[in-house]
Amino acid sequence: MNPREEKVKIITEEFIENDEDADMGRQKRNSKVRRQPRKKQPPTALPKEMVSEESHLGNQPEPVQEEPKTHLLSMTVRRGPRSLPPIPSTSRTGFAEFSMRGRMREKLQAARSKAESALLQEIPTPRPRRLRSPSKKELETEFGTEPGKEVESTQQEIDSRSYSRVKFRDSARKIKPKPQVPPGFPSPEEAYNFFTFSFDPEPEESEEKPKARHRAGTNQEEEEGEEEEPPARGRGKEMDEEELLNGDDAEDFLLGLDHMADDFVAVRPADYESIHDRLQMETEMFFIPSRQTVPTYKKLPENVQPRFLEDEGLYTGVRPEVARTNQNIMENRLLMQDPERRWFGDDGRILALPNPIKPFPSRRPVLTQEQSIKAELETLYKKAVKYVHSSQHMIRSGDHPGNFQLDIDISGLIFTHHPCFSREHVLAAKLAQLYDQYLARHQRNKAKFLTDKLQALRNAVQTGVDPEKPHSSLDTIQKTINEYKSEIRQTRKFRDAEQEKDRTLLKTIIKVWKEMKSLREFQRFTNTPLKLVLRKEKVDQKADEEAYEAEIQAEISELLEEHTEEYAQKMEEYRTSLHQWKAWRKAQRAKKKKRKQAAEDHPDNEIEEPHPEEDLVKPTPPEPTDRAVIEHEVRERAAQSRRRPWEPTLVPELSLAGSVTPSDQCPRAEVSRREDVKKRSVYLKVLFNNKEVSRTVSRPLGADFRVHFGQIFNLQIVNWPESLTLQVYETIGHSSPTLLAEVFLPIPETTVVTGRAPIEEVEFSSNQHVTLDHEGVGSGVPFSFEADGSNQLILMTSGKVSHSVAWAVGENGIPLIPPLSQQNIGFRSALKRADAISSIGTSGLTDMKKLAKWAAESKLDPNDPNNAPLMQLISVATSGESYVPDFFRLEQLQQEFNFVSDQELNRSKRFRLLHLRSQEVPEFRNYKQVPVYDREIMEKVFQDYEKRLRDRSVIETKEHIDTHRAIVAKYLQQVRESVINRFLIAKQYFLLADMIVEEEVPNISILGLSLFKLAEQKRPLRPRRKGRKKVTAQNLSDGDIKLLVNIVRAYDIPVRKLAMSKFQQPSKSSRMFSEKRAASPSTHSPTHNADYPLGQVLVRPFVEVSFQRTVCHTTTAEGPNPSWNEELELPFKAPNGDYSTASLQSVKDIVFINIFDEVLHDVLEDDRERGSGIHTRIERHWLGCVKIPFSTIYFQARIDGTFKIDIPPVLLGYNKERNMILERGFDSVRSLSEGSYITLFITIEPQLVPGESIREKMSNMLKKFESQEDEKLLQATEKFQAECALKFPNRQCLTTVIDISGKTVFITRYLKPLNPPQELLNVYPNNLQATAELVARYVSLIPFLPDTVSFGGICDLWSTSDQFLDLLAGDEEEHAVLLCNYFLSLGKKAWLLMGNAIPEGPTAYVLTWEQGHYLIWNPCSGHFYGQFDTFCPLKNVGCLIGPDNIWFNIQRYDSPLRINFDVTKPKLWKSFFSRSLPYPGLSSVQPEELIYQRSDKAAAAELQDRIEKILKEKIMDWRPRHLTRWNRYCTSTLRHFLPLLEKSQGEDVEDDHRAELLKQLGDYRFSGFPLHMPYSEVKPLIDAVYSTGVHNINVPNVEFALAVYIHPYPKNVLSVWIYVASLIRNR
Amino acid sequence: MATASPSVFLLMVNGQVESAQFPEYDDLYCKYCFVYGQDWAPTAGLEEGISQITSKSQDVRQALVWNFPIDVTFKSTNPYGWPQIVLSVYGPDVFGNDVVRGYGAVHVPFSPGRHKRTIPMFVPESTSKLQKFTSWFMGRRPEYTDPKVVAQGEGREALQKAVFSVHGLTSPRPLALGHIKGT
Repeated sequence: MNPREEKVKIITEEFIENDEDADMGRQKRNSKVRRQPRKKQPPTALPKEMVSEESHLGNQPEPVQEEPKTHLLSMTVRRGPRSLPPIPSTSRTGFAEFSMRGRMREKLQAARSKAESALLQEIPTPRPRRLRSPSKKELETEFGTEPGKEVESTQQEIDSRSYSRVKFRDSARKIKPKPQVPPGFPSPEEAYNFFTFSFDPEPEESEEKPKARHRAGTNQEEEEGEEEEPPARGRGKEMDEEELLNGDDAEDFLLGLDHMADDFVAVRPADYESIHDRLQMETEMFFIPSRQTVPTYKKLPENVQPRFLEDEGLYTGVRPEVARTNQNIMENRLLMQDPERRWFGDDGRILALPNPIKPFPSRRPVLTQEQSIKAELETLYKKAVKYVHSSQHMIRSGDHPGNFQLDIDISGLIFTHHPCFSREHVLAAKLAQLYDQYLARHQRNKAKFLTDKLQALRNAVQTGVDPEKPHSSLDTIQKTINEYKSEIRQTRKFRDAEQEKDRTLLKTIIKVWKEMKSLREFQRFTNTPLKLVLRKEKVDQKADEEAYEAEIQAEISELLEEHTEEYAQKMEEYRTSLHQWKAWRKAQRAKKKKRKQAAEDHPDNEIEEPHPEEDLVKPTPPEPTDRAVIEHEVRERAAQSRRRPWEPTLVPELSLAGSVTPSDQCPRAEVSRREDVKKRSVYLKVLFNNKEVSRTVSRPLGADFRVHFGQIFNLQIVNWPESLTLQVYETIGHSSPTLLAEVFLPIPETTVVTGRAPIEEVEFSSNQHVTLDHEGVGSGVPFSFEADGSNQLILMTSGKVSHSVAWAVGENGIPLIPPLSQQNIGFRSALKRADAISSIGTSGLTDMKKLAKWAAESKLDPNDPNNAPLMQLISVATSGESYVPDFFRLEQLQQEFNFVSDQELNRSKRFRLLHLRSQEVPEFRNYKQVPVYDREIMEKVFQDYEKRLRDRSVIETKEHIDTHRAIVAKYLQQVRESVINRFLIAKQYFLLADMIVEEEVPNISILGLSLFKLAEQKRPLRPRRKGRKKVTAQNLSDGDIKLLVNIVRAYDIPVRKLAMSKFQQPSKSSRMFSEKRAASPSTHSPTHNADYPLGQVLVRPFVEVSFQRTVCHTTTAEGPNPSWNEELELPFKAPNGDYSTASLQSVKDIVFINIFDEVLHDVLEDDRERGSGIHTRIERHWLGCVKIPFSTIYFQARIDGTFKIDIPPVLLGYNKERNMILERGFDSVRSLSEGSYITLFITIEPQLVPGESIREKMSNMLKKFESQEDEKLLQATEKFQAECALKFPNRQCLTTVIDISGKTVFITRYLKPLNPPQELLNVYPNNLQATAELVARYVSLIPFLPDTVSFGGICDLWSTSDQFLDLLAGDEEEHAVLLCNYFLSLGKKAWLLMGNAIPEGPTAYVLTWEQGHYLIWNPCSGHFYGQFDTFCPLKNVGCLIGPDNIWFNIQRYDSPLRINFDVTKPKLWKSFFSRSLPYPGLSSVQPEELIYQRSDKAAAAELQDRIEKILKEKIMDWRPRHLTRWNRYCTSTLRHFLPLLEKSQGEDVEDDHRAELLKQLGDYRFSGFPLHMPYSEVKPLIDAVYSTGVHNINVPNVEFALAVYIHPYPKNVLSVWIYVASLIRNR
Repeated sequence: MATASPSVFLLMVNGQVESAQFPEYDDLYCKYCFVYGQDWAPTAGLEEGISQITSKSQDVRQALVWNFPIDVTFKSTNPYGWPQIVLSVYGPDVFGNDVVRGYGAVHVPFSPGRHKRTIPMFVPESTSKLQKFTSWFMGRRPEYTDPKVVAQGEGREALQKAVFSVHGLTSPRPLALGHIKGT
């Protein structure tokens, strides 16, 4: 803003000077100006006048700005011109700044110093700045669209750009309505003159008129626009000039300026203006409204009397508080400004709304952020206050009930009738009652009120103006007048009735009093002190009469009017009916004529014609009302109901001034009555919620039958009271009290508190019948005042209790009222108060229309604040918002949200991406950071997905190489997808335990355990692993999950053979089948060990764990039985960073635990350096590995046990030597094992909850699957499972499984003898055992694919054996079933064994019965174990399944070592089918026969080559920094050797092989091994090769050899052998 | 131009966990963490924090004042999954065990400027009286497996039968300053 401000300053200065110039060089200018055709009014005013006008100029903007406030909108067009005055100056600045700034400055500078002092004195404030202010100010206002802004912006543009100038000029021309000036370019001189002078004459002209206007005090805005134009005109011209400046003539013009300099600068004496003159001028100019009160007649139209609506009974509301003086000023001002007096109401006051605040905001709240932040940042000092528990808090919290208090003040009791009343008492009571009534009526004075109202209404009708809306249309006036009239009628009726009542009441009072007097006279004593005095009030008879007459006249005239109206109406009716009648008559006549004619034609018929229509009577015209009659009526009525004007006003006054006759002067009966009264006493019981809480003291009944108690009961209560009752008891003498009556007290409103509660009277009455033998009249007994007993009265005991009930106020002024929530009764009573509700009923509350209707009918005064909430409710309800359509739309806002068509939405890439992600399409699941814009989404994002969709049917062979397997993989994928879709719902299912960690319900064992824990050692000698907190797989991210692998120890690691040692022939152990299961005697003689040099370690093994390409290894231990006891930590990364349970379950990664031997090679070439340095090379030789799938770890949560190390059949350079020392002592135990073993503990940190909960949940869901099984059977299975689970919850029990199509199938249906491939049977035709082993091997060659991986852990699907062979993938169950079926077909006794094994967890094995012993087969590895094999991975047995029955293990132990497998013993095995449920002979789901194709040898050979090629490439890839040389010779040797291995099933070829190798590769140091595995895909092969770490040898001259052999078995089962080796040439 | 750096918008949150009202407890500390959607990633600042232990003020308010600052910046491409602050308050019980006293979550304000939020804090209740006693006795009250659960929808059905009790109110004052940065 700074440059701008500067600019403004310059403008100021220049402007001032120009003004001065205008004054100084006036004469000269005049002549010039005259020459210009545009200057029509040359300035003729004297300099003095000029000054005054100048000051006007300064003042002008203010009125201008103030006035149009209300006309802003209409003024917008004019606005531009009006704020124009500053423009010339600005543009002048531009001019000065641009073209002639330099010269101007010099000259001005000189002049300025001289002139400035004088100028400043004269005009203390820089006017031009003020001139600018309007436009600037306007910019700051909310009305941002005003042209003022445009002007401002143009101003800025003018300064810099000429094109904008042109534009502006155009706009200026547009504004100018009639161009008075012929357009044309003035000469430069002219232009300059104009430029310097032009401004002044024009404003002068414009200012004159406003001034005049001010004097006249009129407001003529229309003219203003016109007047305001000249500046615009001037500016337009000036624009031309500026253009000239830029044009060719600019030069001349600038040259001419030098000559003009004298005009520009002038010296002048200081002007003085006397204060007097100034004041005078100011008074002429300014209008100062007077502070004096404006007389009412001025504010009202001529000859109109002020009306006061309040006096007429209309509610007007409370006017806002405004100081009297301010009001006066405003009134004066308005009178001046607005002669039409629109601002004044009928009462002569300014119209004012009672509440100026609108019910809704009309403007958006302005966000003043800076301010609010500043305000908020202010620190507030709050003095520290000691906290005191106030009782208020306690009430609020509701912690301390019983602090509420109800105060009941019972002041007294008055009997309005009592049995002991004498006759006089009865009359007295009646009189008192009437008098009370009279007083009440008098106080209300309804007659007077109605009279006044009538008067007001009449006035209103006379004025004929609606008091609410001063300018409403005619028919509304008519309507209101009609309304008024009807109201007048009604009011009059009411008033007459009221007056009549008043009169009759007065009459009755007098009558009763007379009766009483006569009674007193009659009985000659008085019992009551009552005395009635009638006071006459004199009235001004004449005035009264006049008023009376006037009233009657008014009434008559009104009635007359009514009657005339009625008459007119009747006349109308009459006319119409007459018309009808006439028409009818005409018709009749016509008929008659016809008839006559007819009669003439047929004279006989004449008589027969009836005149049925004759009964239409001629209507009689209504009687015009006679004034006299009406007058008579009115007078009659008035005489009846009204006090006649000549009668004095009678005012009865009842006093107790009379004296009661003492008892001794009374007759006997009366005395006995009085004594009876004295005997009686009364007390009250207070019942709260129908329970007596307190009672008053017993007070004797006085002679006047009043009892005074004056007691206050404080009831401390807890809840909102339900009822409050007083019971009136009366005691006569010493007899027991009798209950007279019950009085129900209302429960006070919450606003009624002690001290403010008025004394109220509640009436009661009793229905008791009392007959007394004395003067008392009794109760419920007829009696009469008349002597003849006529006109009998029956009075009941009744009375009034005066009391007050109120809520107590606590010490600190807080009412002790129960909270409102308890107050349901109170609420209802509050509702009742608003009579609106009670009049329409509760249902009306909901029906707004009904309510509105009621409000309209009852003519609720909408201005009355009492009705405000109701009116507001109605206005809201009926404002049209509540339009209820007749139909129901499901998504009624859908239309509004359809901001784009569906097609367009689908085209959006971003939307598509989001959509796919929310659908959890695998490619997009957990896709992070979906880009903001479509253009940022690459097409390739979708490519994979689209390709997959495309390829769903196309089989891709690249990855799988083997077409068949590709098909299978595809099929599996599809099955998996369908299954996953099926269970999508259950996936997100959580149990409470998943969300909330809570201690279990403690039972004795837990409690005991925890007690035991207290006594536990802090650091036990043998620590055990403790259970950990489980974590549900959610809220996890990368790095949260770790895999902990604890490697404890290993047994029987192969040991090195001395490399240099001669080939030796170890005693070959040709193990026989029988040897394996039994404890075979050691075949090794300890003599070999002599070969080892002393001190040389046999083997230095270490363990390397690799998982997801992360590798960790332990330290190196020594010896064949190393103990590491080390924990390795490996990070786990879920696929796509998705840690949902489903995703974790489908992790296919495998943990490789590799055992290596660390070999140190001395590389020192020179022995002389041995003293100074050690040069060794570390080589690692792979010994074996253990593979554990992650899914197993995930489901087992922990894997703890000893595993057999998978050692390659040929391990060159190593020997499985028995340690002689160990073997000697533990021979029998040791020798049980064949291979090497490693003890591991693997777990995941934190412990993840596997999908167990899902499984539980699913089991229910699975039941819903359709099943073809018999319903009875299914029920039996459920029962069986439940029973088993009850006894041994941990033992696996399977009865039904789900087949691949999702149906529940009974498990035994899977078992059926099936033929193994004939090829296998032919190998060992005579050796059953060998065949069995071969078959097991065949089964194990089928790749293992856990169901949890393929089906996301959702369920276990069992496929039949033919499906399994087609798929060539399956988990333990399928393998076990197939193996079992083969064994059955081989004629063995075989069972499916369900149990737990390590590492698989719940699994299926196969149990066979051989001669005299049981064998346990692992179907996945093809290994078999004896029942008593300690290293058998099967750890416990759940159930056995045969082809025709299921046996559940109900033995105490479940370890295979300790149980008896004899299923015939019912004590040990619970069978499913028994005598009670015999085996129904279920058919098998398996095929009749398995058909095997012969394997395609050519295809296998081709595959073999391809795999070899791939692996070689991989190895080269893994060695990016080294040259990888392949030793062809070695490779071919190995290739020949591999088929031998296959033939011998990897056994017992080692030594031959070694011999051969040594023979051929004598000068190479060779380390390598064959790997064997079933073939499924290439990737596992690569992983396996990688895990051996053969490629890691970095010896410079290393060579590699790699051979692959694939042996095809029937049904495309392939056995893959890979021989990898590294060779180092010995020097 | 799109390839160079994807457009994101940044959400800068700074503010503080001001104070809490736990009429029944004293000496509490609080932890905060953020839960946000897939399209969100923190770019600066701390995603989690644990405050000092504070004692009740001795005046009328009895407030537990932490004034524990929060300052974190997120980048995102999608308002879906707008970050939520999850607060959990812990304090010692009678036996000195640290016990959770309240969980609560609130969305980071959607509009820039100062905002003050008051969150009701609740804890899951034991499912039975007996468990209530034992959990009290052993100092192992029921708690969420992860405090972030309170800001998430999944697993709510499991909590259908769970009972919660509100123990107090915590007032964090997150101040969100966001701006769209187009590149």
